[in-house]
Amino acid sequence: MLKVQIIGPRALLDEAVRELHTAAVVHLETMPEEYINESDFLSKLPIEREKLREKETLEKYGERLRNFRALLPQPSSYRTERVALDDIHRLMAEFEPFEERAKNLRARKDELIEELSVINKYEKLLRGFAPIVSRLGGLKNFDITGLTLEKTREDISGLLEAEVSRVTEGIFSIHVKDIDEHTLGVVLTYPRGFGAQVRALLSGKAISEMRLPDEYSEMTLIEALKQMGRRKAELPGLIDGLDGELYSIATRWYSLITGVARAIEDALDEIGVLSYAVATKFAFIIEGWVPAEAYGQLNGRLSTLFGGKLNIRTLEVAGREREAIPVYIKNPRLIRPFEVFLAALSPPKYGSVDPTPFVALFFPAFFGLIVADMGYGAMILVFAAYMRKRLAGKGKRFFRDLASVFIVSAASAIFFGFLFGEFFGDLAERAGLLHPILFNRIEALKTLIIVALAIGIGHVLLGIIIGIVSHARRRDLKETGAKAVYLVLIVSFLSLIGVMFGLLPKAFIPWSAGVMAASFVALVVLEGMLGPIEFIEALGNIVSYVRIMAVGTASVVMALVANRMGQMADSAVLGVMIAALIHGLNLMLSVLSPSIQSMRLQYVEFFSKFYEGGGRLYRPFKKK
Amino acid sequence: MEKGLIALAAAIAIGLPALATGWAQSRIGSAGAGTIAEKPELTGIVIILVAIPETMVLLGFVVAYLIISG
Repeated sequence: MLKVQIIGPRALLDEAVRELHTAAVVHLETMPEEYINESDFLSKLPIEREKLREKETLEKYGERLRNFRALLPQPSSYRTERVALDDIHRLMAEFEPFEERAKNLRARKDELIEELSVINKYEKLLRGFAPIVSRLGGLKNFDITGLTLEKTREDISGLLEAEVSRVTEGIFSIHVKDIDEHTLGVVLTYPRGFGAQVRALLSGKAISEMRLPDEYSEMTLIEALKQMGRRKAELPGLIDGLDGELYSIATRWYSLITGVARAIEDALDEIGVLSYAVATKFAFIIEGWVPAEAYGQLNGRLSTLFGGKLNIRTLEVAGREREAIPVYIKNPRLIRPFEVFLAALSPPKYGSVDPTPFVALFFPAFFGLIVADMGYGAMILVFAAYMRKRLAGKGKRFFRDLASVFIVSAASAIFFGFLFGEFFGDLAERAGLLHPILFNRIEALKTLIIVALAIGIGHVLLGIIIGIVSHARRRDLKETGAKAVYLVLIVSFLSLIGVMFGLLPKAFIPWSAGVMAASFVALVVLEGMLGPIEFIEALGNIVSYVRIMAVGTASVVMALVANRMGQMADSAVLGVMIAALIHGLNLMLSVLSPSIQSMRLQYVEFFSKFYEGGGRLYRPFKKK
Repeated sequence: MEKGLIALAAAIAIGLPALATGWAQSRIGSAGAGTIAEKPELTGIVIILVAIPETMVLLGFVVAYLIISG
């Protein structure tokens, strides 16, 4: 990663920013405040009034487009069009009548939907009230009020009658009718002169008064009922018609709307970037980071376009600034999905090791070793492949990558399943179709423990070696030495254990013990008391790999239980169902548990030996 | 009698660490749930933290196996 400085005449600033935006390789950096303050000729670039006005206009456009998009249904397929900055104003003017039209259509649609929902709400009530109201329909100078009561509060109707009688001086009538199983309908008739008092009473008693919607308020209840019936039949058609019109606006404009929205975001980014620039009286300066391999191309591009009026040069990076170098993580396409494992950590420090290639190798290997069943592996593979296909859209990269990781891991499970002769437990072995090539996992637990520990030793030692290389590359001699001594201490200790178990000749004892003692002292000198603690931790880490055996064994035993319980059932159908149920449960656990255990072995046991977080990711200034 | 004692020893060897793991995971899990509620981006780390005490029961399992296999 190179630190670059771009210097040019202030008149070319806008054009230069636009070109950097298109080049999409510069990670922009603000110049340190103290550097600007100390300088006699540098100052922060003031944003011109015209730019501020443009920014304001673009932000307003952005808001308008968001609202316009919210009014329209998203077409089933559309392609965001490429829109040039100069076309934004023209297109926004073109959108205007359609925005207005969409607003009106949407408002009308909302009204109709509201009316339909009101009709649906009132219909049942109106049908309940209709017979009473038709009897009372001839009364003049009387108000009719419909009320609804919950049946659980039926006692209120008596109280209500007494209160209404008091308020209306006994001139009233009350009719109560069942509307449905939860609701009672009450129709009150009283002289119009008492209307205000009755309403005050009802609102005070927290009783819901059935009020007709405004457009029906002038009608009698019977008329309202008929009108509602008619509207109910025609409203869905009208709403569909409005939807159709909105959809036709959407199909015509959606691609352009998204294109303009994107162009606006890009234009706002370009204005925002001006805050990164500093200026002298006549020139501007922009600093940033560029990957070494992209520098030549950027340099060539700028000199072609600006013919030497713009100067780009690399700057020396030294001291504390090295900590701030952004990290550019670039992996081959095949292992790129495994970068998801870095999402849970802070980005690696510049100059440290990117663990992705190692994870791409070890995560599927551990997952496969734990699951190790051809049947389960095949099912996980099919599911992961299906999910990967479904998650094809933009913005779903994380989950698509996760699906890719599981495809590789499932293939590994199939491979190890073949080696251990497992297909839904011992199903294929019972049928004589499959036999363990390496060993049977249930019968050879001890072998499996040894294999797991051996993997642990290899993985942990590899982690330490990567740590040594990483520190050595940065010429951090003390840390390199400490890590090397740490490695020697662990290896010498393990060789003593090897002698104890008869794996190594006894002649190793004096050598191993001597080296171990010497490296122990050296580690304490270099690392202090933390050294021995780290040593014990590393031994714990190695033993932790036994989980490959333990979780794997639990999975096999559960698969065997599924097959045995299926066999014990009275009928074949029931047997298959029982076995399928337990296998299904085991399959779910086979995705979850081995993933977590395998992930943990990477993060806790492996990464802790070399991974250095605290870096910041390389984010080039590029168009949306 | 001896067989019974061996089985009991193996059961204790795996049972006690299992309880300890469960207890530790319950504490980590509740703290983790709180963490995820405030910072969902830490979900990955919380899952790993919850899995950490499992080492105890795994070692218990190994010891139980060693006891039984003699």
